[in-house]
Amino acid sequence: MKHSEKAEIFNKDEAKVNWHDKALWYVREKRDNSAHKVQGWEYLRELGSGIKANVLSNLDEYLIQFESNAKKNGIHVHWASNAEEHNEIVNSILVKHDAKKVVKSKSMLTEECHLNPYLEKKGIEVIDTDLGERIVQLAKEPPSHIVLPAIHKTKEEVDVLFQEHLGTKPSQGNPEYLVSEARKHLRNKFLKADVAITGVNFAVADTGGVVVCTNEGNADMGVHLAKAHIACMGIEKIIPQEKHLGVFLRLLARSATGQPITTYSSHFNKAEEGKEMHIIIVDNGRTEQLSREDFRASLHCIRCGACMNTCPIYRRSGGHSYDYTIPGPIGSILSPGKDLKKHSSLPFASTLCGSCSNVCPVKINIHEQLYKWRQVIVKEEKQPVIKKAVLKTAGVVLSKPGLYDFAGKSARFALKNFPKFMIYNKLNAWGKARDLPEVKNDNFDEWFKKRNKDG
Amino acid sequence: MNGLKKEIKMGREAILESIKKNKPELLTVPEIKKEIFAEDINVKEVFKDNIVLVGGRIKEINIETIDAEIKESYAKAKRIVSTSSKTTLGTVSVSKDTDPHTLEDIDLAIVEGELGVSENGAIWVTADTSIVRALPFITNDLVIILDKEKICLHMLEAYDIISNRDRNFGVFISGPSKTADIEQCLVVGAHGAMSLTVFLV
Ligand code: SF4
Repeated sequence: MKHSEKAEIFNKDEAKVNWHDKALWYVREKRDNSAHKVQGWEYLRELGSGIKANVLSNLDEYLIQFESNAKKNGIHVHWASNAEEHNEIVNSILVKHDAKKVVKSKSMLTEECHLNPYLEKKGIEVIDTDLGERIVQLAKEPPSHIVLPAIHKTKEEVDVLFQEHLGTKPSQGNPEYLVSEARKHLRNKFLKADVAITGVNFAVADTGGVVVCTNEGNADMGVHLAKAHIACMGIEKIIPQEKHLGVFLRLLARSATGQPITTYSSHFNKAEEGKEMHIIIVDNGRTEQLSREDFRASLHCIRCGACMNTCPIYRRSGGHSYDYTIPGPIGSILSPGKDLKKHSSLPFASTLCGSCSNVCPVKINIHEQLYKWRQVIVKEEKQPVIKKAVLKTAGVVLSKPGLYDFAGKSARFALKNFPKFMIYNKLNAWGKARDLPEVKNDNFDEWFKKRNKDG
Repeated sequence: MNGLKKEIKMGREAILESIKKNKPELLTVPEIKKEIFAEDINVKEVFKDNIVLVGGRIKEINIETIDAEIKESYAKAKRIVSTSSKTTLGTVSVSKDTDPHTLEDIDLAIVEGELGVSENGAIWVTADTSIVRALPFITNDLVIILDKEKICLHMLEAYDIISNRDRNFGVFISGPSKTADIEQCLVVGAHGAMSLTVFLV
């Protein structure tokens, strides 16, 4: 199903859409306040971007260095080309430890590899321990946001879910009560778990250690109680040196939720005595993305979610409408590389307003990449007629250097200034019942006249 | 298992080969110009403000009064683990061999922090100082004792001190455990410590 069709489903409940929109915008504002407090914020972003560019240009060497340092510290290192291999490796470690109960801390990679259903089929209990993840797990849904997995659920909905699955009392969605009940429920799971699985926020080449960031402390509760720790990472999680954490940890939480840092930034360098630590390094399409010059910068992503929180389309269509593990602007760049046909509507789920690129802590040119995917898709996929027409107009503006300059060197101008009939047409589900980012159309006539004159 | 091992090895070579083929031209690592982040502020006062911002409490005290201060803050705590020699309040002792599961109903843990970070109220705690890794997380309440001389301006300064040390496990702790996963309402006390009090000495 196309993104716009799925978005339409989400849009049926208008009150909820407004609420979703506001909740995310609130997080975006917190990000702004937090970023403005940092002396040299823009330089910090440049550093983040520069370090990541260096990482991609030397990725194989860094991975080898990382592996050798990790092994020196007694960590078992595995490599997986794809999701199947990843899941098999996890399973082989569980078998070795005769593990039946697993606690997992938030990891979009294991989500991407569909690890949970794979393990569940083998009779293993897998409990997601981040509260938001646990909520969507109980609801049998995927996360709708990479940092706020249950952002699409109201507290009343959580209340009902907990009554059904955890036997709680009706509380009209009292967050304190619900969190305290979840704490009891999950503590029990932590104490009984055999193995803990976590994601990785940063893997450090010069130490061979990994860093995991959480607010709840669920990664630590899992890892420090279980017999073995399995950390799953995409190849792009590498950073060259430990001191570079000083750059990324300053950027990550501020961009994600506006906090100055997450509550816990845990550095795992060696297994505790008598226990085991495993790291699985996963490709699953990433080296292919590396080969695409126009799109490789998407591998800079540190998964802060800021581009989602600011995106006018994401906020009003919900994460599930993207039908991909990583939703929002960055997901719309990553997904066509995985399956162009299935995800061909996602690069169109954008106003190209550029807000995503503006907030991205590692300066990914997100909106430009979205535009580039559109070009690829228009060439390779059959498009509905009217969409083609809209695109053509965008194409005209953006392809003529003179006009492009006039438009303020930004695709934003062109799209902001499209006449209403183009944005709010039947085939564009975005236009329905809402205003796109504040659009002033006064200039359009003038622009349109000039455009005709200039031919 | 044998079959799997072989595949895993192929994974490694295949991945590295593919990166080699697809990576862009080598770019250098940017040099970090720390002077751009320089700020003329009272790091201790900003640190204190940030501890409060992230949901913790902070008290600057005299080392002689530390037992009394902790007692006052956590009057009801009975099962107390202290890995700090600066207080005598510990009632449950731990060693490297302690099974962390036995700490499930600890009321209060008292550990020492190695350094604090002014910009975010984070405190560096390692397995060396917490003895049992799970301790600062599994406890109901947490006290961290920190030397007031050991506060850095920002994370880059902090890593100048801690990076590339031999270490098993280390964690920056900034406030008590919290979550905002239910409708963005901030609730303190998710899985880890329900409260954090920092004593600056
Ligand atoms: S693309 Fe940038 S803004 Fe979006 S999640 Fe990744 S790092 Fe954050």
